[in-house]
Amino acid sequence: MLLVVLRRLRDLVVVLAVVGTFLFFLLRSIPGDPAQVLLGLKASPEQLARLHEELGLTGPLYEQYLHWVGNVLTGDFGTSIKYQAPVLDMIAGHIAPTLTLAIASTVISFLLTVLVIGWVTVSPHSWVARGVNRVAQFGLALPEFWLALLAVYVFALVLGWFPTSGHTPLFADPVTAVPQLVLPVAVLVVGQTAFFTITMEESVLGELTQLYLRTARAKGVTERRIALRHVLPNSMLPVLTTIGLNFASLIGGVVVIESIFVIPGLGTMLLGAVYARDFPLIQGGVMFVAFLFVVVNLLVDLAYSLIDPKVRVS
Amino acid sequence: MTAVTGETAAAARRPSFARRNPTLVVSGGLIGVIIALVVVLPFFLPDPEAIDPVQRLLPPSVDHPMGTDRYGRDLFSRWASAGRVSIGMTLLITVCSVSLGTFIGLVAGYFARVGRVIMRVVDAWMAFPSIILAIVFGVVIGPGMTSELIAVTIIFTPYTARIIRSRVLGLATRTYVKAARVSGLGPWQTLAVHILPSTLPLAVVQCVLLSAGAMLIDGSLSFLGLGISPPTATWGNMVADGRVYLQEHPTMVLFPGLAIALFVFLLNIAGASLRTFVDPRAKLLSAQLRRRGNARRH
Repeated sequence: MLLVVLRRLRDLVVVLAVVGTFLFFLLRSIPGDPAQVLLGLKASPEQLARLHEELGLTGPLYEQYLHWVGNVLTGDFGTSIKYQAPVLDMIAGHIAPTLTLAIASTVISFLLTVLVIGWVTVSPHSWVARGVNRVAQFGLALPEFWLALLAVYVFALVLGWFPTSGHTPLFADPVTAVPQLVLPVAVLVVGQTAFFTITMEESVLGELTQLYLRTARAKGVTERRIALRHVLPNSMLPVLTTIGLNFASLIGGVVVIESIFVIPGLGTMLLGAVYARDFPLIQGGVMFVAFLFVVVNLLVDLAYSLIDPKVRVS
Repeated sequence: MTAVTGETAAAARRPSFARRNPTLVVSGGLIGVIIALVVVLPFFLPDPEAIDPVQRLLPPSVDHPMGTDRYGRDLFSRWASAGRVSIGMTLLITVCSVSLGTFIGLVAGYFARVGRVIMRVVDAWMAFPSIILAIVFGVVIGPGMTSELIAVTIIFTPYTARIIRSRVLGLATRTYVKAARVSGLGPWQTLAVHILPSTLPLAVVQCVLLSAGAMLIDGSLSFLGLGISPPTATWGNMVADGRVYLQEHPTMVLFPGLAIALFVFLLNIAGASLRTFVDPRAKLLSAQLRRRGNARRH
């Protein structure tokens, strides 16, 4: 258990170092002087010099890099140029909507997947079992931005069931917040459920070849009980891993969804930072997303070792 | 009895390739049809960038099967030429990332010590949210084909690298590879002559599966205005163009997105059946299942 945590912590350091260093040099390879871009051509040399100082742009590149690493190690990710606020505060201010979308859609997708695959496992010759793979493959093929617009057209513009866009903090005003969340979450659920379903179906098929099932049948356990008590729980583990690995693409989807439904989350913040060339914010925001990715995978590993004793022993 | 050559006798006994792999043949065929359509159609359709202010925002009709946009451009010809661009971009990204991934996988699998370091970096890569990386590249190089190509190639490379590496790890311990090394073949020649060919089927499967993902990301980037930008049409930026007219003209959004969905669906199906076709282990698994299923029915 401790080993799992330690290994993931090492991964965390590696990931943040690679991602951060890469971004640092990538963003500084942009032609032109960012301070000049920000202040415009009329800026005085004193203004430029002050901004250079603020942005850590003085001295040779390796010095700037070391300076930046030192700041990061002391928890200083710089200040957003556009909003004049510390990057960490900016992230804290935008994280709630993104986490709401990500967690809600992941939990719902997981429950849906277990429901569908549970049905498939209990009655493997039903129409659900025969069609589930193709339907999931189709769900996986739907582009989120397109699905979101179609959902807006049908459920907001034609039927008028849900608002077309907007976001309210969930706990501040649930009555307004929930209808606003339905469409964005539903769109994210489609792709995720499709992905989880395919993974879990494969793992059910693998589990069905296990010999312990023959033993169970031999001693008279019913097919239904075998499906629900043995096959299904054992097939859930790979889905956990999938949740972790899917996180990066989930965030990609969230960026698009936030932009369509005008939700002030991390995706909107990053897109805005990119359009405004707000380098500290881009750097901090992307590193934070990478950090989340590792943390999510750490949680998945921990859950894994809680559920599956074999992992704990090895 | 007439003389039958051995070959035709065997062919008669064995069901045809199409019968044995119906999904692969049908999905592959349909992919071929779509590609042929978008390649051929633009030759017969009006100029996709020709502006006609009189015929603005027309609904679908016989003259304009998909209607016209706000400049009076024929959306069907835009749809077809967008297909060329989107599919071309997808292929380009796929070929680049699979080649690079295969190379990295070969090196990382064969040279154990370097491999471990490479794989650490590759794993860190996978933590990068793909769209965000593409967005960052869009800023650095400026949005367009080059930045999209570089960004998406970088994002997709780790997946291929990991799969190829695990295959190489298995191959490197084979006796024929050791024999080649002992007989004086250098490491690079061994890789190229004895290991690379065995990884190619996997690489081909990766190509099909990744191209599905590439098409989706290409769509998202074009939609966000970070991929190939107007007036060149792509399926993604056509959806973005139609967004403003969603209420009055939902078909402007519907058709280009449907093309992406259909194409990606076919690629997914083709990729999955190609994988079963190439990977004998997967075949074995499904054979075992079939046997078990029969036993259960008796």
